[in-house]
Amino acid sequence: MRPGQQAPQAGSIDPAGSGAVAAFGRRIAATSELAERAGAIAAAAHAMAVRFHQGGKLVAFGTGPASTDAQHVAVEFVHPVIVGKRALPAICLTCDVATITAVAAETGLAEIFAHQVDRLALPADIAIGISADGNCPAVLGGLRVARARGMLTVALVGGDGGAIAATGVADHLLAGASGDPRIVKEIHVTTYHVLWELVHVFFEQPGVLGPGIVA
Amino acid sequence: MDGAPIGGAPIGDTPIGDTHSAGSVESLYPFIYSGTTDLSDVLGQACASTVAKVAEITDLRARICARDAARLSECARQAADRFDAGGRLLVFGNGGSATDAQAVASLFLHPGGAVPPLPAFSLAGDTAVVTALANDIGVEVIFARQIAAFGRPADIALGLSTSGNSANLLTAFDEASRRGLMTIGLAGYDGGKMAELDSLDYLFVAPSSSIHRIQEAQTTTYHVFWELTVAEVGRRRRTT
Repeated sequence: MRPGQQAPQAGSIDPAGSGAVAAFGRRIAATSELAERAGAIAAAAHAMAVRFHQGGKLVAFGTGPASTDAQHVAVEFVHPVIVGKRALPAICLTCDVATITAVAAETGLAEIFAHQVDRLALPADIAIGISADGNCPAVLGGLRVARARGMLTVALVGGDGGAIAATGVADHLLAGASGDPRIVKEIHVTTYHVLWELVHVFFEQPGVLGPGIVA
Repeated sequence: MDGAPIGGAPIGDTPIGDTHSAGSVESLYPFIYSGTTDLSDVLGQACASTVAKVAEITDLRARICARDAARLSECARQAADRFDAGGRLLVFGNGGSATDAQAVASLFLHPGGAVPPLPAFSLAGDTAVVTALANDIGVEVIFARQIAAFGRPADIALGLSTSGNSANLLTAFDEASRRGLMTIGLAGYDGGKMAELDSLDYLFVAPSSSIHRIQEAQTTTYHVFWELTVAEVGRRRRTT
């Protein structure tokens, strides 16, 4: 065992880790609040399962830290960590750096997802836009185009949901109850893990999905 | 109680063993497996399952806090030492943990607002390097090779794995340690093979067998680590 694995030295600052304890403590209320949104999460997962059942694919996007969540959502569906769960079609719109930087340079950052949704997505598809404060112009733009095309729109936001909530662009608005973008992200991770799982739960009960084309 | 409900062995970031069986799924969603097709029944089951998961992640974070708060603070102070000495944070992981690696790097490099940015980058984001190494040599050298290329003694190597068993992380920690980097690992389960490494300065384990809950807890762990580190860096800059 190397030195760092030992207990902190006497006399070091904050040996009890009170700063860390306080930071963990700030998560508790917003996490517990997520349980009160279980119905909204289940409804979103059911709607997503219906779209997958009809042959739709998932299109995920976000900027900054949420771009990594968009990638996480896509890999979650395409390559489930649980053996025996089918791969479902999902793409992330944050990885094509060539297109993103081209659109951003030519048209503006607000258009990076709208441009891709408009060319890559179909009406049967699902859009998941992620924005911790609900005000990301690029996510709002992507959701707007998705909705106009008839896609199912799901937004993971935080706080009061910002412009994404105000414009009513999301069929399913799932908000983390915190103004701290880090805490909102943590709630988002749990939310999309649960969404993935419930999609598969509904998928295993095709009677609740209506007629579909996925065998 | 553990939250991962669906049977079968996880793949990808492969854990040691699988603790979930098809039977546990059926107990979580009895209506579904009893042949009912009533949507409201299924939605009710889904809600109950979500409420249970929220309780599990809350409990997991509380256990990590109780066990690791003091070590996280100490780790953050040592990381601040490294940043003060001109070090950078190199972050790495596979699959979902690769997205966490990017999130950590970006959080340090561009936290936004008045929070001081600190130098950090992810080793998982360069598709050309990652695929070149995987194709020419093998996935086990991804990350170790980049640490050999970029790593300086003052740097910090932070690797995330849910299982603690990813071969390329184990190799990367050894390479980093050999070069004098500070090494930090995040793992799940019982820490897996990462718990056996001599090359890790700090290991933070999320004691769960659900990959999902582990990832959720790790997100909190690295957020708290970042928060403590930038606070320490800021405190030192104000007093010097």
